Amino acid sequence: MPGIPTPSLSSITLTVNGQRVALEVPTHVLLLDVLRDRLDLKGAKRSCDMQVCGACTVLVDGTPVSACSYLAVEADSREVLTVEGLGTPDALHPLQQAFVDHGAVQCGFCTSGMLLSAKALLDEQPRPTEADVLHHLRGNLCRCTGYRKIVDAILACAAGSATAA
Amino acid sequence: MLRPFALYRPTTLPEIAALLRKYGDEAALYAGGTELLLLMKEGLVRPRVLVDLKRVAGLGELAASDGAVNIGATVQHRTVERSVVVGAHCPLVAGVARHVANARVRAAGTVGGNLAFADPHSDLATLFLVFDARVSLWSGDGEREVPLDEFVRGPYETVRRDDEVLTAVRLRPAASGGAGAYLKFGVYERPTLGVAVVLVLDAQRRRVSEARLALGCIGPRPQRLSHLEQRLRGMLVDELAAGRADLTGSGMDAISAATDLHGSADYKLEMAQVFTRRALRVAAARATHQVIDARYPYTVVV
Amino acid sequence: MHLAHEVLIEAAPEALWRLLWDVPRMAACVPGCGEAEEVTRHQTYRARMTQKVGPISLSVPLVVEILAAEPPGRLVLSASGRDPVVGTDIAMRVTLDCAPDGAGTRLHIGAEGQVLGKLGALGHSVIQRKAEEAMDEFGRRLARAARS
Repeated sequence: MPGIPTPSLSSITLTVNGQRVALEVPTHVLLLDVLRDRLDLKGAKRSCDMQVCGACTVLVDGTPVSACSYLAVEADSREVLTVEGLGTPDALHPLQQAFVDHGAVQCGFCTSGMLLSAKALLDEQPRPTEADVLHHLRGNLCRCTGYRKIVDAILACAAGSATAA
Repeated sequence: MLRPFALYRPTTLPEIAALLRKYGDEAALYAGGTELLLLMKEGLVRPRVLVDLKRVAGLGELAASDGAVNIGATVQHRTVERSVVVGAHCPLVAGVARHVANARVRAAGTVGGNLAFADPHSDLATLFLVFDARVSLWSGDGEREVPLDEFVRGPYETVRRDDEVLTAVRLRPAASGGAGAYLKFGVYERPTLGVAVVLVLDAQRRRVSEARLALGCIGPRPQRLSHLEQRLRGMLVDELAAGRADLTGSGMDAISAATDLHGSADYKLEMAQVFTRRALRVAAARATHQVIDARYPYTVVV
Repeated sequence: MHLAHEVLIEAAPEALWRLLWDVPRMAACVPGCGEAEEVTRHQTYRARMTQKVGPISLSVPLVVEILAAEPPGRLVLSASGRDPVVGTDIAMRVTLDCAPDGAGTRLHIGAEGQVLGKLGALGHSVIQRKAEEAMDEFGRRLARAARS
């Protein structure tokens, strides 16, 4: 077919969960697809595909981003954090532990997005109010829990961090 | 999945002009991509070239001068939300920026992109009307400044020519002593109704000396309610704070509203009156330092 | 979607009818409508409707069928088609009624139908607005064409 441009490849180097990764990606590829398909990090999910639901939330340089709508090339020279980099099964991040303790996980589909959004909030505001948490989670949808336990978990984690070593 | 495209990242406006000249309607301007990428995913627009504005110096500046606040086109909502300059000169703008969409969209989406897309449900396009906003448009042939009121022509339609770049928007906050409010009502991702109000009181602080009101989301474009603004002049601010604004004869029933997923035209017109009254109440209470309970269902009060 | 528009044409009903019945020439008066051609005279025609809604371009190959023709008073036609690029279907029924008014003709244009698909999802009000603008311009162009 005439006129179809050759996808231009870009070399990008990014840090994913603390590890440097060098990739060649076409400019039109989305970060979510690079994470899931190239790097086998399945924590971020494609759900609404339009930045509404938050299931694809990852942190780029500490800022929450919808990986479904973020060009991979924009992550060049940046640090990306996915849920896989938050903690390990043997060493859960305090947020993950709080989610477990408070029953804030049911089907788990929204969980990675919730955790990373919460981390971004607590990194900036270590003692948020409930209103702060609700405001910040506005873009993360959950079909299972009714949000109560997620909010409780985040507030408990924030309160617990005041006494953590 | 997006269809393939070439991405250019110029660092100057003349470079952008050259790219737009070369590629015409095959090119799309790109900053946060919060609307563009969605349209591209749907196949509704299929640019083969994206021109990234984020590396052009000057487009990302936010500064105040001569009482006006200049917001560069590539400034993100999140930056506006946290800006000390905005907080000092027009805190209402920072407050509304805090409630645009969600945290991820606020981190990526830009003020310029929002205005240029002209979504009829835009909070900023409604709010900026009460700040007498003026939009700067740059092209290879020169620059022009257009009042926001004239810039937005209709749903998704602006006067920006294809060879022009929206470079900045300038806000002019009301004289000191003004109190404002923005009420946003709705249950969907985009608001069903937005009302912005700024009130300036007289020297005795008893009556309204100047009112600015804008209504958004329900019509094809946000609009200033100039008839109502005139009627409000001279009104007792305590009447407004008590929620007793008399809107009859203010031209509010002549506002254009269309029936759609957000509700019937009748419903929207009625809600426009309800929320205008509420917005006036909030602004009037603030102007006189009264504490009121302004919580309404499905409403964000800024 | 329902639209109605009335325009006074400075031409006798018979003269206006000649213009309307020349379907490709009439179609050329519809803003955005081009490439009109006859398939079967006074029965089936083809045309292409091109419109822009904000950044989105619509291009629909239309099949136009004459449903009723009662010279010199009434013409009813249907126009339908699909833009596969934008995933949008258009189906309209248009009625043109001519009534003598002094030395001229009062033309009443009625249109009803639907726009379905992605463009329809943008909102009924956006489509309605575009259609009303197109109808106003159609009336203006018809009036100009009928005078010449």
